[in-house]
Amino acid sequence: MRLPTRRTTLVYLAAAGPGLVAAAAGNDAGGVVTYASAGAQFVYRTLFLMVLITIAYVVVQEMVARLAVYTGKGLAALIREEFSLRVAAFAVTAFAIANIGLMVTEFGGIATAFDLFGVSRYLSVPIFAVAIWSLVLFGSYSYAERIFLLLTVVFIAYPIAAVLAHPDWSQVAANTLWPHFVASRSFLLLSIALIGTTITPYIQLYEAGAVVDKGVKSEDYRFQRVDAIVGAMMAAFVAMSIIVATGATIGGTGPLTSASHAAHALRPVAGAAAEVLFGLGLLGASALAAAVVPLSTSYAVAEAIGVERSVSSSFRQAPIFLGLFTAQILVGAAVVLVPGNLITLIINTQVLEGVITPMTLILILVLANRRSLLGAAANGPWARWVGGISIVSVAAVASVFVVLTVLGWFGIG
Amino acid sequence: MPSPPPSSPPARPRLSLNRRRDEAERPAHQRRRRTRRILASEGVFDSIVSLAGVLGRPVTNQTGQEIGRLDDVVARWSDGQTYPPVTGLVIRVGRRLAYVPATTIDRIGRAEVLLRSARLDLTDVVRRPGEVLLAKDVLDHQLVDVDGVQVIRAADLYLAEVLGRIRLVGADVSTATLLRRLGPRRWRPLPTPERVIDWAAIQPFGEETDSIDGSTQVRLKTTHEGLHRLRPGELADLLEDLRRDERRELLAALSPDEAADALEEMQPDDLEQLLRESDPDQAAALLSAMEPDEAVDALRDLPEPDRIEILQRMPAKSAVALRELLGYPEDEAGGIMTTTLVTATTDDTVTRVVDRLAESRAHDVDLDAVAVVNREGCLVGDVTVLSVLLALRTAPDTRISSLLEDEDVVTVRPHASANEAAVQLIEARRLSLVVVDDDGRPIGRILADDVLDALVPGKGRFHFPKLF
Repeated sequence: MRLPTRRTTLVYLAAAGPGLVAAAAGNDAGGVVTYASAGAQFVYRTLFLMVLITIAYVVVQEMVARLAVYTGKGLAALIREEFSLRVAAFAVTAFAIANIGLMVTEFGGIATAFDLFGVSRYLSVPIFAVAIWSLVLFGSYSYAERIFLLLTVVFIAYPIAAVLAHPDWSQVAANTLWPHFVASRSFLLLSIALIGTTITPYIQLYEAGAVVDKGVKSEDYRFQRVDAIVGAMMAAFVAMSIIVATGATIGGTGPLTSASHAAHALRPVAGAAAEVLFGLGLLGASALAAAVVPLSTSYAVAEAIGVERSVSSSFRQAPIFLGLFTAQILVGAAVVLVPGNLITLIINTQVLEGVITPMTLILILVLANRRSLLGAAANGPWARWVGGISIVSVAAVASVFVVLTVLGWFGIG
Repeated sequence: MPSPPPSSPPARPRLSLNRRRDEAERPAHQRRRRTRRILASEGVFDSIVSLAGVLGRPVTNQTGQEIGRLDDVVARWSDGQTYPPVTGLVIRVGRRLAYVPATTIDRIGRAEVLLRSARLDLTDVVRRPGEVLLAKDVLDHQLVDVDGVQVIRAADLYLAEVLGRIRLVGADVSTATLLRRLGPRRWRPLPTPERVIDWAAIQPFGEETDSIDGSTQVRLKTTHEGLHRLRPGELADLLEDLRRDERRELLAALSPDEAADALEEMQPDDLEQLLRESDPDQAAALLSAMEPDEAVDALRDLPEPDRIEILQRMPAKSAVALRELLGYPEDEAGGIMTTTLVTATTDDTVTRVVDRLAESRAHDVDLDAVAVVNREGCLVGDVTVLSVLLALRTAPDTRISSLLEDEDVVTVRPHASANEAAVQLIEARRLSLVVVDDDGRPIGRILADDVLDALVPGKGRFHFPKLF
């Protein structure tokens, strides 16, 4: 990560720490929509679950940063070197599937944003697919990136909106601190989506890569640790404020069905401009991720099998790298063009993330436990237990869901 | 939250003007330089054993009794041997790992290992200096293919009997091999040597790892002589692709000058990462060996505290020069120029000037002309290296002042913009310009390629955090 001699404060913030980036840039389309849906459907009932997810998220981000600093290697490299080839192949495949899901989310976000402005998705999605593809491959992406990044600042309005909406704070506090779950299938489904959208596999890979790129020395790990933890907590704070803001304004109106519905939560801040504000934020976040997500898959797969990888090569030189990049954009855009409710589609792809997330989490836990890899920096007994319990419980929620779904196919349950 | 971590500067395309040789642009003949040496001889090629295939297979003694399963193969680098000999095996017996020396091996087959004696002393695994575990430390890890000038990740390693010993003869990098290893167990022993790189072309790395009992640390140092024949740009490519530990080893294997030349060719963000992760003394040594203009560019990219610390640890002379250059904004002439400057006084003879050029041989890329000054140290002319050398043939003893042309010498001030420098270069039809201070004394030189670097926005190379 290069410290630029120019550019905006936000980019400086980004350069300050990869962990902070997650919070500063706000949430992507999947996050905002899922949190908003949680607020709309269950008011504050998901807040306690969010506390558990936050703990797991903080623990995982810290382990990832530690692995990156002490080994100087990215997560995918560690998985290839430390586990058997089959495990590595499985992890890369799971990662690729999760990322295709994310692409659907991002194009869904773009389509939703333009819906708010009255532009059909059959126009906006193809245009953005071509634009992102060519901006990345032919080079002037940096300018577009800065504009998109600026748009995501909109989501910082959520904590303010949460306060201005005058939520019932005693309710908020009780739901946050008092352990509870709601025994219903829709709550379980939304829980998986919340897990998936908060602890996305791609974020872990990205965080590791960015920390390695910063060239942090192991003596300076404590700074990186603060960055990772604060970043994860800020991200969770924004997430919870979206739930509170939405819960206070449209809570109890049932599952979220449209973006204009979700935009109501920004009314206390923006009034009539709420829809425009929400749309712009959604567009910025989605467009940003729509370029970075497919690149991360392409790099991971191409490096895993050791083939040519560079955005400046030709298709003949790097067929796998560029083919994958293109295919992901095509698939993401194509799925979104299938008629159907965009909000439901976005939430369903977060469920997919939620099912895949535990696999990456377990690999990270095993790596961070390894003394042969980290020496004295390996997880101590405390980290082993807290990390283990939080990761295993997140994995358990996902497994229960998978089992119930499979049973459902056979008409049981 | 799948927040688009995108804010990520890393995802920003970077200028790639720094004489970037993208892998994709590398001429095909270089890739073909890869040779098959030992593997070319048929006998060896037919008898090679795939390491990935034989791992986990039964180890039997002469009576056909299974002792355990093969867990790893120990080989020794060093000894100046091109093909590292296998020195022992690690066998999993029940839950325990045991070591048997290579002398007891009768044969390593594709799907089993036969030991020579019926009775065996299984000893605990102790790794001696220079030894590596092929499966744990080399397979799936980074290696440098020196002939092909590329960083590879070994998908498989091949063993064969050469000169009476079982040795490591090649590394496999093909996708088919990965599929073979992923497929059913019975596929695994069959070698698929379509893209095998002969071990003679490989620079391996010895990872700093605990030995099996967790006590000693092994650090291997064998340097492939071919590394010294690589061009700086090629070394830069390798340094960019390697991970931290391997990169450190490669840097340590190079001489300070080789390393500095390679660093000058690296992408700015990769170079920044390299400098930040090196220890400050090493970073200072590398930067002071680099050309000042390149070193300043690199220093500018570093965060303030790192920059200060590195400058403090540099030899005073380099630090002073670099601090001065750092004082100029990077888009002004002072920020673009190099302080490497060969000067001559009007009275110097041509021979004398050529001697001085010879002393500056290490800075050859920055030598374009000789700045001629009068007794007060003010610039009076700029004579190209070519005219000096031609004069050496005809009139070696004439004064350099006789080579001065009548027209006024073209200069810029340190605070001139890159644009102004470009205009001056075009007018003067020169490859470089002298930068002078307010009193007309030369303080540096701007080369045409540096002006280009400063002006052309160029097509970006996407920089993405390294996942591997």
